[in-house]
Amino acid sequence: MNSLTKMKNTAQKNKYIYHTRGVCPPEIHFKINSGTIEDIRFVGGGCSGNAQLVTRLLEGKPVAEVLESLVGIDCRNGTSCSDQLASALHEVNKGQLHSAESFRVANDASPKRRIGLIGAIEGKADIVDKLIQHIQASNVETFYWLGNLTGDSIQNQDVIKALRKQKIIALQGERDWQYARSKEEKGMPPINQSQRDWLFRLPQVLSFQLDQRKGMAFFGDFIQSLPDYSDFEPFALEINMVCGLADFMQDETVFPALEAMLPQIQTDIVLFSQTQKWGHWQVGGKDFISVGPASDDDKIYWGILEADSETIHFKVMDAEVEGGQYE
Amino acid sequence: MAESVKVLPDNIQEIIEVQEWDMRTREGVERFRQLKAKSLPTVALDGELIYESIIPMQEELIAEIEKRYKEKNQDA
Repeated sequence: MNSLTKMKNTAQKNKYIYHTRGVCPPEIHFKINSGTIEDIRFVGGGCSGNAQLVTRLLEGKPVAEVLESLVGIDCRNGTSCSDQLASALHEVNKGQLHSAESFRVANDASPKRRIGLIGAIEGKADIVDKLIQHIQASNVETFYWLGNLTGDSIQNQDVIKALRKQKIIALQGERDWQYARSKEEKGMPPINQSQRDWLFRLPQVLSFQLDQRKGMAFFGDFIQSLPDYSDFEPFALEINMVCGLADFMQDETVFPALEAMLPQIQTDIVLFSQTQKWGHWQVGGKDFISVGPASDDDKIYWGILEADSETIHFKVMDAEVEGGQYE
Repeated sequence: MAESVKVLPDNIQEIIEVQEWDMRTREGVERFRQLKAKSLPTVALDGELIYESIIPMQEELIAEIEKRYKEKNQDA
């Protein structure tokens, strides 16, 4: 049912993000390809026209040549955008600035009308089969697993084996990220290196399409603390608004501010799962959905997201009941 | 909103420092939360939320700034 063949990892290995000092744009993004500089972007502020000129003049030039032109230009605070770019290139040359991967984005490109959503399973391998069977019987076109896949469970390895076998579209959760870097909390059940590597390569953000609507999914705020996280990458605004501003939609008092920011958001549907609660909010014509846990003491849950031409519908399902909707 | 501050007359510009936060960024959102603001645009003076959801008339903003400036400097 699910296919990974259309998923594309959009991360760039030779992309750099430099956090500036003393100038208007807080970040400079650029790429280095075989010793030449490409795709320079002064991000987040500054003189747009000048920045575009600098970008055009330097595009495709060898780094060594570019450095000669940039060093020592003073605009403010004893530095300038050009000077900061020179500093960035120096740091690349010295190996002090590493190639950036803000977060890994996967794209499920083919539009769907009915999608299954699964939240934190946290290593409970014994419910995986029941969940998948129930979802497959519900005529969804695909389903997304939003992490955490692992938890404080000796069955973590079995969960990973099952998901790898099914080729399920799964997103990395915070616990999975800890396991991926061998930085899980003390006392957590071990998993093998191959499984850590599989967790490491999981996408952290999923882009999808529900009918005519664009959607994105992520686990939670651990993405904001990734080493090269940029506030100006695609989908970062959605993440910043949900995690930082609206406290995962728990703080309705800031919804007016959220609504004011929404015209800048590219997606129509935002899915997240950190809070371990099921919920659906419609703000400013956008849908925000919190995907709750896959199970509690006596029930197994998943969600259905459906679209018609007018609106989207979301409901929580009970996998213990045939065709059952949980209320 | 920052434009309404940038066009304040020189005598006002001389007595204020302007800090603008970008709400797209984590830093901007954090500052917004610290101020306990609820909507946009927002103007705070000396860390106190003064205007929300409105862009004040220039005269009103100038009067508020001058009032605070006088209060802070009356003992100087």
